[in-house]
Amino acid sequence: MTTTISETSIGEARGLSNKKNPKKRIKRTTWAAIGFASPLIVYLLIFYVAPLIQNISMSFHRFSRRTFVTGDAPFAGLDIYKEVLSSPEFWTTLKQTLIFVIVSIVFQYGLGLALAVFFKQNFRLNGFLRGVFLVPWLIPPMISGTTWQWMMDADSGVFNKFLGMFGMDPVWWLQADHALWAVIIANIWLGIPFNLVILYSGLQNINGDLYEAASLDGASSWQQFWKITFPLLKPVTLITLLLGFVYTLKTVDIIWIMTMGVGTSQTLATWSYAMAFGKGYSSTIKYSEASVVGTVLIVIALIFAFIYLWAQRKEEEDL
Amino acid sequence: MSYSKGRILLAAGTALAMTLGLGACGGSSQSSANDKEIDFWDPYPQHTSGSDWDNFVKKCAPEGYTIKRQGLPQNDVLNNLTTSVKEDNAPDVVILDNPFMPTAVDAGLVTDITKNGVSSEGFDENIIGPGIVDGVEYGVPFGSNALGLYYNPEILKKAGVDPSSIKDWDSLNAAIKKVVDSGNKGIVFSGIKGEEGVFQYLPWFWGAGGNLKNVDSAAMTDANNLLSSWIKNGWAPKSVTTDNQSASWDKFLTGEYGFAENGSWWWPSAKDKGYEMVAIPSKDGGIAPVATGGEFMTLPYHKTENADKAKASAAVINCLISDDTLLKTNDTLGYLAGKKTVRDEQVANDETLKPWADVVSRAQGRTTDVGLDYEDISSQLSQGEQTALNEQ
Repeated sequence: MTTTISETSIGEARGLSNKKNPKKRIKRTTWAAIGFASPLIVYLLIFYVAPLIQNISMSFHRFSRRTFVTGDAPFAGLDIYKEVLSSPEFWTTLKQTLIFVIVSIVFQYGLGLALAVFFKQNFRLNGFLRGVFLVPWLIPPMISGTTWQWMMDADSGVFNKFLGMFGMDPVWWLQADHALWAVIIANIWLGIPFNLVILYSGLQNINGDLYEAASLDGASSWQQFWKITFPLLKPVTLITLLLGFVYTLKTVDIIWIMTMGVGTSQTLATWSYAMAFGKGYSSTIKYSEASVVGTVLIVIALIFAFIYLWAQRKEEEDL
Repeated sequence: MSYSKGRILLAAGTALAMTLGLGACGGSSQSSANDKEIDFWDPYPQHTSGSDWDNFVKKCAPEGYTIKRQGLPQNDVLNNLTTSVKEDNAPDVVILDNPFMPTAVDAGLVTDITKNGVSSEGFDENIIGPGIVDGVEYGVPFGSNALGLYYNPEILKKAGVDPSSIKDWDSLNAAIKKVVDSGNKGIVFSGIKGEEGVFQYLPWFWGAGGNLKNVDSAAMTDANNLLSSWIKNGWAPKSVTTDNQSASWDKFLTGEYGFAENGSWWWPSAKDKGYEMVAIPSKDGGIAPVATGGEFMTLPYHKTENADKAKASAAVINCLISDDTLLKTNDTLGYLAGKKTVRDEQVANDETLKPWADVVSRAQGRTTDVGLDYEDISSQLSQGEQTALNEQ
């Protein structure tokens, strides 16, 4: 009897403690989870969400230097969007931006891939030469931009000296009409290392047996590339293109250092920068207009991110 | 088990505390805590801590105060001031480039300096002009710099050009042509987009009879044609479209160019190299007016007022412009004093400053007549010039 009582009481006690403890445990672990997640959440809020909201809010209010200080910029709704989107300058700049981004990426990717395939073969100095190709990535854009500006100098730059050796007329590279192509060339050079590194590591993951089997079947190296390398590299290609797209879309430094975004080299990013800080022709700051352009840039980047996600999902489904 | 649970909680607590600490950091950007420290901003980062200018400013601290000086890049001063006034941690004295004065006044960044007892009595009207907006004085300059036409005497001699023959645009063009024909390079200037380029553009615009109230005029066409013809003829390098004044000066220092349009702030180093200077000619003869260069000392607006500190800050400005120190201030920075009496003294000490002093006496303020509209006017001039220079 006593034993049963004591057993039941123990059982009850256990039951109680079993009921109590899990509750406590969940609570504790939840707290722990919140505690661990909070630095990240707060970080995201302060450095990602708040600036984003601020940017969007600024694009809906008509800011001037004065109202920026006093903080009573009048609400303008979509008016500033309408103004910016209806200005011819926006559409010219958008066109230039797309040319800049697409041409840059096509060449960065193409040359990066060619180099990655090249470096996949084992030969002497392979590591060293690959290292040399990373140099554009390591040099601060301030220095590489200035160097490109010198090299493209119309009167004494090495580019024109080189053309002169073949009897060609010198080109005024940084002139307003040519400036877009000048900055594209510099930007391609700048982006090759990034493409090379990612694609090269992608190549490392392709099973060597496939090539062996293919060559036994008599596939030429050209066929091997198109039937093995390129398809198996597709996931890596997708992420390279997406990252390259986003990087190139928001490029300001190299363009600004070379041309200050003059003429055709004005992209949405440099335009937005010039308006936000009064750095272009005019020292008038246009926070609101700059924010509108900033928002447009975010939307374009998001569209491409979704295209990437869609392509990735499709890829997984196919597998 | 309880040990590991405790550890989880401890770790989580630490993480949470760190987060809160981080949050606290973000909120603690209040005005300078030290009431006895005067924050002093100037656009002369080249004068580093311990330099003559730095020591000179710090000596002007009133009794019981110290000065914390910070040199910022010229282009950043206005934007940094805007943000700091908004956040109520504005500096106590700011030296601001003169064409930005109406902008700073309009945005409420600077205050009436006479209220705290700064006096610009005895200063030349053309030089203090940009600091007066709607009759209220918001800043005082210690001096001005100016633009002139530097030349390389060796190259001119070889080309057979007498610099004193340069009286108008035609004689200038003839001189440049002779220099180029003798196998040297012609002229460098800064046609960069933005205010710096406009500063160098104005002597040609004004020299052709231009008026800032009516920008789109024959004077603009004339000035654009003159400058773009130099590029088309191969007399000026194409890089003038992107060169700022420093880059342009570096080109002149190579010793390959006959002429350079540049500022009086290079004069000490130019003299050492044996370069000389004539005033920029106007189209039909005579000296073209240049824009007053240089900066204004201002007392920024503080949302939280501190009357004692404002008085002390005003005292710093008065110290830098008082008759005893004005000469030294200008000599230290390589400027020409804003007071004629002091400028005469500078010329008496150094004869070679005479042509510069003449240019400064005739210089015009960019914003004196047009005020805040200057922002748009400058932007129009800059676009017009860039378009002209980029023609092929």
